[in-house]
Amino acid sequence: MTLDELQILLDSHGADPAQWPAALRVAALSLIAADTEARAAHEATRRLDAALAHYAKVTSDDETAAARVLTRLAAPLPRQDRAWWRWPLVLLDWQFAPAWPRVAALACCAAIGFMVGIAGLDRPFEGAGITAAGRGDIASVVFEPEAISGARP
Amino acid sequence: MDDSDEALMARIARGDEQAFRLLARRHLPAMVGLARRVLGNAAEAEDVAQEAMLRVWTHAPRWQPLAALRTWLTRVVVNLCLDRKRRAQWVDLEAAGEIVDPSPSAGERAESDERERLLAAAIGKLPERQRAAIVLTYSEGMSNAQVAEALDTSVSAVETLLVRAKQNLRRALSGVIDEGE
Repeated sequence: MTLDELQILLDSHGADPAQWPAALRVAALSLIAADTEARAAHEATRRLDAALAHYAKVTSDDETAAARVLTRLAAPLPRQDRAWWRWPLVLLDWQFAPAWPRVAALACCAAIGFMVGIAGLDRPFEGAGITAAGRGDIASVVFEPEAISGARP
Repeated sequence: MDDSDEALMARIARGDEQAFRLLARRHLPAMVGLARRVLGNAAEAEDVAQEAMLRVWTHAPRWQPLAALRTWLTRVVVNLCLDRKRRAQWVDLEAAGEIVDPSPSAGERAESDERERLLAAAIGKLPERQRAAIVLTYSEGMSNAQVAEALDTSVSAVETLLVRAKQNLRRALSGVIDEGE
């Protein structure tokens, strides 16, 4: 590893060897141990990292500003976006606690439906809708000779 | 009661305003700070943070927990900041003088810490994506992969941004950081 390559590693991953790619770590540490310039570059990166971390940490100003934003958010909130294809899911968004009364009601409905189906209560009485014509043999209507001419169809 | 981000988002998706305010209280300080460092403007940073949190509220019913909420929120804040930067020209910090901050203690502290002021000014002069990469890495403690996700780019692009940003910072701060310790 050259000094330039070490500097790129330090700039892209910081001074902490734990953050370096494993494939480069040994070579980088060896160079830092062997070369004064490399050691100086590592030390300078460590100082820059510390300064940047100090600069970037949340301050009391940020807390104060956040409190102001939170106050502004106390106003009535806008309508939420809901995808149209999610509307049916609202129907499924039940609270099942306590669930047993609903399940019992569903089971009762299913049992009543089953009994109605078995007993045939949903079908009309068979004899009521049959007419005299309906009772006749259809073949006799179609194939019998006419009473006057005697012609057959 | 489970008050993880995911649980709160599930409640927010059902229109629970109390859960929304709890989530906002948790993430707002970091998001305001992030926006302030990327934008270099405290008032705009508050607007961005407010807009980001309102997006959390309005988009909650459609939100899918594919990534951590914090990563998604960070991405929203960074994108809002970069959009604003594209619309408005960055005010040169030297021309503008001191960084304006509405809080009373900020000016005093900036004066007392010359090194930090110079660092802030140098970061302020970085191109916006380099600045965003630096701020995300050091304020959010993100890995390069997480920064890449937040900036919607590749890991190698983030590494390039960081390398260039630090080269620029070293040039701008030659001697300042070394003298500080």
